[in-house]
Amino acid sequence: AQRPRGVSSSKASFYQEGKEFVCLDSGQVIPWEYVNDDYCDCSDGTDEPGTSACSNGFFFCENRAYRGTYIASSRVNDGICDCCDGSDEYEERIQCSNTCEELGKKEKEEREAFRKLQEEGYKIKQEYIQQGKRTKDEKRARLSELEKEMAELTSARDDLQQKKDEAEAPEKEAKERHEKAWEEYKAERQAEKDRVAAIHAFAELDINSDRRVDLVEMQRHMEFDIDSDGTVSDEEAREYLDDSDSVELEKFQERIWANIKDIYKPPQEAMEEGERQPSEQPEAVTPPPPPPQEEGKGEDDTKPAEEEEKMPPYDEETQKLIDAADAARKEYNDADQKVRDAENEINGLKKYLEVDYGPDEEFSSLRGQCFEYTDREYTYKLCPFDRAVQKPKAGGIETSLGKWGHWYGPEEDKYDAMKYENGQSCWNGPNRSCHVNLHCGTENKLTGASEPSRCEYQFEFTTPARCSRPQPEPKEHVHEDL
Amino acid sequence: VQRDNFRTCSQVGFCKRQRALEHGQSMHVVLPDTLKVSKNSATLEVLDKKTDVRFLLNIFGLKDNTFRVKLSEAKPLRERYEPPLGDVLIKEPEREDIVYAGQSGNQLTFTKGSARLVVTTEPFRIDVYSDDDPVISINAQGLLKFEHTRNRPEPPAPADNQEEENKEDGEVNMWEETFKSFTDSKPFGPTSVGVDISFPGVEYIYGIPEHADSLALKTTKSTDPYRLFNLDVFEYELYNPMALYGSVPLMLAHNEKRTVGVFWLNAAETWIDISSNVADKSIFSNLADFVTGNNEIPQTDTHWFSESGVIDVFLMLGPAPNDVSRQYAALTGTTPIPPLFSVSYHQCRWNYNDQEDVRTVDENFDKFDIPYDVIWLDIEHTDGKKYFTWDGVKFPSSEEMLRNLSSKGRKMVTIVDPHLKREENYRVYTEARDKGLLVKTAGGGDFDGWCWPGSSAWPDFLDPKVREWWADKFALTEYVGSALNLFVWNDMNEPAVFNAPEVTVNRDIKHLAGWENREVHNIYGMMVHVATMEGLLKRTNYQERGFVLTRSFFAGSQRTAAVWTGDNMGEWSHLKISNPMILSLNLAGITFSGADVGGFFRNPDNELITRWYQAGAFQPFFRAHAHLDTKRREPYLLPEENINAIRSAIRARYTFLPYWYTLFHLSEESGAPVMRPLWYEFPTEKATFGLDDVFLVGPSLLVRPVTEQGATSANVYFPGTNQLWYDIETYETYKGPAEINVPAPLSKIPVYQRGGSIIPRKMRPRRSSTLMFSDPFTLVVCLDAKQEAEGQLYLDDYHSFGYRDGAYGMVKYSFHSHKLHSTVSHPGTQFTTSEWLERVIIAGLPHEPKRVTLHFSGQTTDLSFTFDNAKNVLTVRKPGVNILQSWGISLH
Repeated sequence: AQRPRGVSSSKASFYQEGKEFVCLDSGQVIPWEYVNDDYCDCSDGTDEPGTSACSNGFFFCENRAYRGTYIASSRVNDGICDCCDGSDEYEERIQCSNTCEELGKKEKEEREAFRKLQEEGYKIKQEYIQQGKRTKDEKRARLSELEKEMAELTSARDDLQQKKDEAEAPEKEAKERHEKAWEEYKAERQAEKDRVAAIHAFAELDINSDRRVDLVEMQRHMEFDIDSDGTVSDEEAREYLDDSDSVELEKFQERIWANIKDIYKPPQEAMEEGERQPSEQPEAVTPPPPPPQEEGKGEDDTKPAEEEEKMPPYDEETQKLIDAADAARKEYNDADQKVRDAENEINGLKKYLEVDYGPDEEFSSLRGQCFEYTDREYTYKLCPFDRAVQKPKAGGIETSLGKWGHWYGPEEDKYDAMKYENGQSCWNGPNRSCHVNLHCGTENKLTGASEPSRCEYQFEFTTPARCSRPQPEPKEHVHEDL
Repeated sequence: VQRDNFRTCSQVGFCKRQRALEHGQSMHVVLPDTLKVSKNSATLEVLDKKTDVRFLLNIFGLKDNTFRVKLSEAKPLRERYEPPLGDVLIKEPEREDIVYAGQSGNQLTFTKGSARLVVTTEPFRIDVYSDDDPVISINAQGLLKFEHTRNRPEPPAPADNQEEENKEDGEVNMWEETFKSFTDSKPFGPTSVGVDISFPGVEYIYGIPEHADSLALKTTKSTDPYRLFNLDVFEYELYNPMALYGSVPLMLAHNEKRTVGVFWLNAAETWIDISSNVADKSIFSNLADFVTGNNEIPQTDTHWFSESGVIDVFLMLGPAPNDVSRQYAALTGTTPIPPLFSVSYHQCRWNYNDQEDVRTVDENFDKFDIPYDVIWLDIEHTDGKKYFTWDGVKFPSSEEMLRNLSSKGRKMVTIVDPHLKREENYRVYTEARDKGLLVKTAGGGDFDGWCWPGSSAWPDFLDPKVREWWADKFALTEYVGSALNLFVWNDMNEPAVFNAPEVTVNRDIKHLAGWENREVHNIYGMMVHVATMEGLLKRTNYQERGFVLTRSFFAGSQRTAAVWTGDNMGEWSHLKISNPMILSLNLAGITFSGADVGGFFRNPDNELITRWYQAGAFQPFFRAHAHLDTKRREPYLLPEENINAIRSAIRARYTFLPYWYTLFHLSEESGAPVMRPLWYEFPTEKATFGLDDVFLVGPSLLVRPVTEQGATSANVYFPGTNQLWYDIETYETYKGPAEINVPAPLSKIPVYQRGGSIIPRKMRPRRSSTLMFSDPFTLVVCLDAKQEAEGQLYLDDYHSFGYRDGAYGMVKYSFHSHKLHSTVSHPGTQFTTSEWLERVIIAGLPHEPKRVTLHFSGQTTDLSFTFDNAKNVLTVRKPGVNILQSWGISLH
């Protein structure tokens, strides 16, 4: 029997011509004539499967050569071809051509193409899974290995530290002893030098060689001109002579020399200075070019090289202690470095193992790689599980669109999308973030980037890791009612 | 808002000078000997005794209870600007005879029908009476100040003259003004005009949009005056008298007895001070009339002043609110019935990024079964903000995109702003420049300002030849990549200039005819959309109706554009203010108006978006819009509860489209607002005068949008003595006058059909209004206390101008004595339709009828029906008659 318009074969039995019609859900009973009479009688909309009368009804498109589908009743006779067989536009406000065969063919091709894609991608995914699992196992094994090793390494290091401490104590003592002796020797030598210098200066000052230095002799030395008035007055001379009018060598050595040795100049120099004083200073007019600066030369210039006497080498005993301590230190440092290296490696492993790389570790191979996509203005870069960035094509600085946050797919398929968050903040807006949609593909590729809302980016990324087990080859053309 | 970007009255020379006037300072006298009376007008000279300058006073009798009073300089040194006929006034207003009744004492009386206009000679004032009641007085406060044209005084002026000058005008800013870093050169000196207008017996006045304020205007004693000066105000503030994007200098004064209107025809910056007062005894012929009860008569005084031009005032004497609407419509015109798609729902965002984005949004609306008619593209769709162009990468095949939309009956609107990017490869600019169509600086070069594209120039839309040139740009061959289902949005047409004083052009810039912007400022934006609409009409040889949305407007804008309230915010307070703002526009003739649903700036939460859709679904222009920096908020992105509520709201809009369409038709005929304050329909009910959170769509739908966060109920004021109101979903009834708390969960929009009304609806949801073309109607009859109701339905092809040649249908419905009548009052033969009547719902019927019969074409047939006893609602099944038929349905 002919089904009423818009009814699927699976529901045909409810529509019995000539019998009263019972609304499918609401249970109202209406005369058969009310079915498909372009007036909505059933509150559930089931009396008008073939018209637009019920706002909550559905029209069944037969769509032979394609696949039967339901459309909302509101799409019946509205001038738009919604069914591929055109059956929804039977009032012919518009001429609909039947596109079902074409559509069916196209769908089949697409399905086939997609199946192939899935198949190919799924193969690669298996490798990813193996690789991922292997990596994970390796990392886990390595981690537990390291964690075990760690105890040994730490205790070895601690032992060596003790040894080092033990070796360093006598070394320190011996070194200090040696250095102290050297300091004492140096002080003695200095005192001797001073004594000689005093005698020498005394002789220079004592022009009349009366074995006394007196005021007149002092006054020949302009360096004693305290108030810089051009002459050394009696008072000034006396000031330096410890309030005496003259002193003999013994007193000079004891009381005078210490006070004047820093300003005292031998007669030749003292005189030159005195002569130069009234004359003009050419330097003031044309300053000399600055001397070429050389590393480490500055001090030598001011204090002419009076070659610093070097500390004599440690004695054999001490040197032995030092060598022993050096050896202990090196051993300790090596052990300490091993601990640190192990710690770093453990942290790295933990960080890796914290991330969810999918139920079968299939996404793990994406880690450590970066993928780029360039549009008219920008190059976008995705480094999975790390970050997303944007860079102007014309050059310029990278803008962070977000750091790896979490999986962002719907509850039932959370690996469908990733979220990168807390990117660079936007002027007058939120921090940038990036939503990455993942699709099955035979290669890892960033295929699109957009900014649907200000500072909220969206990437499209294909990867074999998103390919699912392909469905078995479909049986030839299933036409079914839903 | 950044307030210091905008001038206060004290920073505007003329505002300060005019406002400083004290009552009775005006020294103007009428010279009765100069009276010249013709059939429908009278002329008198008015002398300013202080300055000895003479003015001409013209009094015109106009048709339909209207006077026009005009005061201009007798011998101006420079012509003063008056908008040419056709720009604001649609034509020379039709005159009506007045009778000079003679002089008595110092009063000259003119009568026209039951109205009387009395000129008092000294001090000069005018009082207008309607049926012997004083209704409007001009210069009763003595605030007339007309700054006559003058030559710049020679500096240094002789001490005596200088003193005279100071005495006359009180002050400063006469020949140059500065604001922030900007200087206004003011080559013609002070030219402002101002006078007071009083409304005896009136406490409530309305109008003078656009302000973000309550519908009933407030006194300005402690604020600046209300300002009318078209400006782009970033993040505007609520409840203050600051100027916004558009201006309509029309004021309505209303009391229980009558409504009158005053239209101040002046295109310059205008300020209006308002104070409430007690009426002046002397204007009452009988002192007993002066007292009502124990109280003296109240009065509202207003003081108007404009920077230049003349005083040209239209006094519309009503007496009913819709009389004033009609009287004003006769002056400035009405909104031609919009194409149906534009009355439907619009989806906009700054920006839909590319064709793919457009396609996705379009598909999602269908996927979620939410109807929409128009998708919009903001400035980013262009090639570098060069309007009339497309970004070739984002929109490589705009025609294909437009075709795809068209196949679902949908349209697109693109933005076209008046600023032209100064770029050599932009033909629209180089052409305008080379043809000399651009506005000039005071110095004479093309004005150069900063707007979206950077350095820009502005065509002088005041010039008819510039408008013609612009209109031609919309031809499909010129606007490449456009199509006939593409319509236009004019934004930034105040005009907005980012680097100029108050974000608009300098006042001293020159228009092509030599007028300064200060003289024409408030009509520039209107002339932009006038030219744009002309372009849209021209491209179909005036066969198809156009659609233009404008931000800036003036009196007369209603003829060629819809208006929206500009850049509002996604906040509850802005949802709330949308009602008074749109009501105010509607009272001022701009019936096709709305606010950005959701709010332009900021991110509204889901509840606010939902409530905003519910309000917008019952406001005349219904468009969602959002700023570039906001999160996406297309309805289908929201949680399910919100999607459902929004879908219902939008679908409700679509079911009422026949009613909206009929209202727009009636509005074209009469100027009546489609969205109305309650007092418009219940003019004697004083409790309604201050209400603006509840409104009417036409005469028959009462809407109380929920504008409070977290609300689960709403207080609804139901007006009318013994007036019944029916919930549009449940048919539950409420009786006025009463304020009743009704439940209002998130899914509920409190909307009520008036008892006594019949509203035609289309209940089948479709993807767009175009697809509803031949869908059947449901008549919803809500009975009043006398078991009667009436209504009407207007029909045409929903898109062309065929209706002007008679291709439309008009059907009147009435229900009385248990019988519903359909009477076709128009088609003749020019118009037929396949639309038919599928259902009649009669609410408020006390008993179930035994039989329902249809009388049609000489035959009587029985109709099936159901009756809901609990609700007293009868549903008559499938009368099936063509909608353009006369018939009767009897209840037995």
